[in-house]
Amino acid sequence: MDFDCEILKNECLKSGYKRVIFNAPEIAKAARGGQFVHVQIETMKDRILRRPFSISNTDPATGELTVVYKVVGHGTEELARLRPGDHCRILGPLGNAYTAPDQDTFPILAAGGYGTAALYLVAKNAPRKGILLLGARTADDLILVEEFEKIGFEVRIATNDGSAGQKGFVTELLDGALAGQDPEKCTVYGCGPTPMLLALGKLTLEKKINAELSLDQHMCCGVGACFACVVKVKDETSPDGWRYSRSCKEGPVYNATEVYYG
Amino acid sequence: MADLTTDLGRIKLKNPVMTASGTFGYGQEYDEFFPISELGAVVVKGIAPWQSHGNPTPRVAEVTSGMLNAIGLQGPGIDKFLKDDHYMPFLRKSGATVIVNIWGKKIEDYCEVAARLEAESEGIEALEINVSCPNVKEGGIAFGTDPVMMGKVVSAVRAVTKLPLITKLSPNVTKIADFAKAAEDAGSDMISLINTIPAMAIDIETFRPKIANITGGFSGPAIKPIAVRMVYEASKAVKIPVIGMGGIMTGEDAIEFFLAGAKAIAVGTAIFADPMAPIKVRDGINAWLDKKGFASLNEIIGAVKI
Repeated sequence: MDFDCEILKNECLKSGYKRVIFNAPEIAKAARGGQFVHVQIETMKDRILRRPFSISNTDPATGELTVVYKVVGHGTEELARLRPGDHCRILGPLGNAYTAPDQDTFPILAAGGYGTAALYLVAKNAPRKGILLLGARTADDLILVEEFEKIGFEVRIATNDGSAGQKGFVTELLDGALAGQDPEKCTVYGCGPTPMLLALGKLTLEKKINAELSLDQHMCCGVGACFACVVKVKDETSPDGWRYSRSCKEGPVYNATEVYYG
Repeated sequence: MADLTTDLGRIKLKNPVMTASGTFGYGQEYDEFFPISELGAVVVKGIAPWQSHGNPTPRVAEVTSGMLNAIGLQGPGIDKFLKDDHYMPFLRKSGATVIVNIWGKKIEDYCEVAARLEAESEGIEALEINVSCPNVKEGGIAFGTDPVMMGKVVSAVRAVTKLPLITKLSPNVTKIADFAKAAEDAGSDMISLINTIPAMAIDIETFRPKIANITGGFSGPAIKPIAVRMVYEASKAVKIPVIGMGGIMTGEDAIEFFLAGAKAIAVGTAIFADPMAPIKVRDGINAWLDKKGFASLNEIIGAVKI
């Protein structure tokens, strides 16, 4: 489960966002949309923990594993410095996955920022192509738009500052995406910041639309041992009505009905 | 192949490598990486009389050469631990040498857990008394930073179980020897140290502490020299076996603890970086002993030249 993987490509997408492609045949074969990998960047000697990244794309035929990341801290700065031919140890695929859409499912992907990265594999493998609702702070944070369009998804955009698409939040695009669709056949696949996902979850419950959300928290071990990355889920057996669930093991994907919104 | 067996008085281990409580879940999480029965012992995450949520998130923050955590002892409680497949039933089947870490808010809580484990002790090799968690408001470190209080907890647990007892000491004290001695006098069969060191990290963008609990326990390679010093001082103070831990990443790190007087060691934070770390540490200890021409681990315990 812990593989030594060579970097094949490590390229800039736009404004601080990068895409790294690893040669990781075992992971590429096994991975499903929504899962993640836990990457050890060994050149980072005084930072010992691994970095978790959503799996963005895989090619089981060539063994390629694609991760899209934003340079935000020590780990991603160091990852950005790595070149083709460098190696990382990669643990994965980890966590559960989105339920793969079947041929009747109309997939509505709802992404906040680079949440798009985690939704690409679901979109690629969806028999029926649907809509990507993409929310971001500003136009600079919109990534992978062409990639989703290329595989037949319509992309609708909302930015907080109005620099691209509709001004506002991604949740405001949901009604439009549902228009003319049989709600029973729609599934919303959400990935992005926690406040956005909680808002999206509540909205889909109100509208009685099936939704799966990828929730997480600062992660440490990645395999369910340390209880760092917990998120609140409903639990009738708990006096408080909720419990903390390990997002690396029982998640990161939760049905909106499982999530505790209190 | 050197002889790695180690004699901890009432328990004998096939090798000196344990897992530090809280870093190895309940064993099953790492079973897909290696047979957990290969370890000297598996020390499970702390068990209380009740199921507990633990602390709010974020619970961890990385710092230079280490990390802070304030998980807050999230756990299933003794009922689930004994009954649910994932916990004790799995551990019994795994063939692992199992040490159960116990905690509570009051002395009676420790006794309740110990008594329950005593009653269903099949497959349990020893109990580790956690009087040193820095991240819970009651119990934990509050007991472990007062030798009299700590002694009371250990004596009370001693009275309800025949299982070998390990007292896990806090580094957050002025004179560790006094605490080692207090644990020994109260009937502890072994001591383990160190638990994490209370610490803090602040996000300079948001001005907020990096973990929700404000402070957390510092672990990882940065704390190793502190741990080695405390193991050395504790080993000199007591006759009971000492289990050393704190920042062990490699076999060579472990050797320092043996030289300081530890008869066994535990790997903790290293597991988060590499799930195979405990096995690599075991193999590293063996390779070092072979290279230096020692036939057994026992030859180097306490062998530091002063």
